[in-house]
This record gives sequence, C-alpha cells and structure tokens, in this order.
Amino acid sequence: MRIIILGCGRIGAGLMQHLSLHGHDITAVDPDPRAAARIAPSFRGRMIVGDVLDHQVLLDAQIAQSDALAAVTASDDVNVVVARLARQVFHVPRVAARVYNPRTAEVYHRLGIQTVSSVAWGINRIAELLSYSELEPVASLGGEAELVAASAPALLVGRPVSALATLGEVHVATISRGGRTFLPQPGTIIEAGDLLYLVVLAAAKDRLAALLRS
Amino acid sequence: MHMLIIGGGLVGSYLAGLLQSDGHSVTVIEAREAAKGLIHRTAPGASFVLGDGTDPFVLESAGVRTADVVAAVTGADETNLVIASLARFAFSVPRTVARVNNPHHSWMFTPMMGVDEALNQADVMAHLIAQVVERQG
Repeated sequence: MRIIILGCGRIGAGLMQHLSLHGHDITAVDPDPRAAARIAPSFRGRMIVGDVLDHQVLLDAQIAQSDALAAVTASDDVNVVVARLARQVFHVPRVAARVYNPRTAEVYHRLGIQTVSSVAWGINRIAELLSYSELEPVASLGGEAELVAASAPALLVGRPVSALATLGEVHVATISRGGRTFLPQPGTIIEAGDLLYLVVLAAAKDRLAALLRS
Repeated sequence: MHMLIIGGGLVGSYLAGLLQSDGHSVTVIEAREAAKGLIHRTAPGASFVLGDGTDPFVLESAGVRTADVVAAVTGADETNLVIASLARFAFSVPRTVARVNNPHHSWMFTPMMGVDEALNQADVMAHLIAQVVERQG
C-alpha cells in the first residue's frame, strides 16, 4: 500500500519503521528538517519537509494516489483537519488521526474520522490493570464482544475445549501452549499452563469469570 | 443576535466591541486568562469564557447551541477549522465565519469543513494596499 504519514514524532517515526518493514511504500511529511534525524537509517521511504496543511505539500506527497494516511502530528487540531480533508477532498480510502483529547475524539468519530486517543486508551487500560480481574481484556470487538486472555483453570484441565464453549456465549479463539499458539478444535484437550484467548459476549463476562474461578 | 467569538486576542476583542456596539449579544471564548483584561476594556458588555474553543464541552457551556453566528478568529488556522466544523456539524450553528491567518491555508476554508465565510486577512490587506499604491502611482 502507498501510505502517507503526517508528523514524524515518536509515533510517526515508529509507524514509518513498522509499515516500511512490512513492505509498504511510505511518504512522510514533517515541517521540521530535524525530524529526519529520528528516522531509522534502514527506512527506505520518502521524506518531505513542509507544512502538512499546505495544498502543494500534500500534492507533492501524492495524497490523491495514496491508499492510506496517518495524521500523527503533535497537534490534535492539525490531525483532525487534515484527516477530514484527506477523506473528503482527496478520497483517501483509509485515514486515521491521533487525538489527545478524548472528548474531541468522540465528536470526530461521529463525523466519520477514525481517531486513536492514546490518552483514552491509557486510562482504560490502566484502570483495568488496577482493578484485578481473572479475565485480561485484550481487545474490544465492537462493544458487544470482547477478546480476553485467561489461564486454563484447574477445573478445565483434561477436558475438551467444547466444555467451555457449551455456554454458547464463549468461543475459544486460540490456545498458547509451550511458546506456540494454535487454533483449537472442539475436541482439543485443555492442558495445565495453557493460555486461552476467548471471545466472550459482554453480557456473559461475569458468568465466565465465575466459572474460571470455581 | 447572539454571537459567539472564539479567540480573544486583538482581532477577537475588537470584533466583540464592534458587534456589541451594534446591539448584539456577544460571548468570547479565550484560552489565555491574560486576555480577559483586553476583552473587558474593548467590549465591556461581552461575556468571557475561559477555555479551549475546540473542546465541545467549552463550546456548549458558552452557549454554542443558541448562537446565531460562530466566528473562529484565533491565530491558528487548524484551530479555526476545528471550531467551524464542530459548530456546523456537531452543533448545527446557522452561520460560521473563520479567520485565515496563512494564505497558503485558505484552500481548506470551505463549506465542506463547516466554513460559510472565510476571511483571509493577508489577502484583504494586500488588495487594499495594492489599490492605494496604484492610485498614488
């Protein structure tokens, strides 16, 4: 994919490295000529020094031909403005903006811009870590379902995966065992020390937690 | 009419004074508390709200839902654009006006971004000066 990254701070430079390692064609834009110093020497993409809100700079970055754009400058305002323009004016298919203020993020989400609020994510994650739970949340799957991690409880050791799935509200997605992760069959026997990744309906989370505790 | 001005620097406070003397009710949102004195001197009857005008909660507490016009006149173009698009698309304000600081940014000030009227100060000034210069020449 052809990807444009606006802003080469910590997130921008990290994204450039990550995405170019995965074979994507990266163009990065930052107004600060010193930003290039933050980029790993292995980076093979293009770097443009310029104002990310300047029409000509965006055209030079070939925004209209790009497949995706990440707006990750230090300014929330710049990120949401340029993300909206990328979508509406240049019809970039995939656009994401980094936003610090969770309240602005919420409004822009409603306006159709995918925002990533590291502050909101950090608050939720830290709150989860502090309020102890047997089920470690890994990802939210659209509000109604969650991906959680749990160690195999003694009760289930030696029993098949289907014993857990009989609830109808829990699905065993993967099992990590001895440094290896695989997709279990209904008949796969759970062993001591297994780490289970479970997809669980939000409504059934408490019941699952109780079952794993017992 | 109820006018909500975001940005209480020289432009915003002067604008507040003008609108107020034309008989409008005026509220000014400004992030720097130091600007409060300037606003009170130039527009004594205007309400002052301390806060970030791009924060939806601050806009609501300043009465954005009942404003007839929102004027985003801060010194940062991206801030003015965020305010205009929130005013139009999140709060359905009937009319929005935004200040363009950098002429290279004027391309973004469109109805699609929630801006009804963009005022490009460099462009306005340059045209006026050109007129004066050419008249004398």
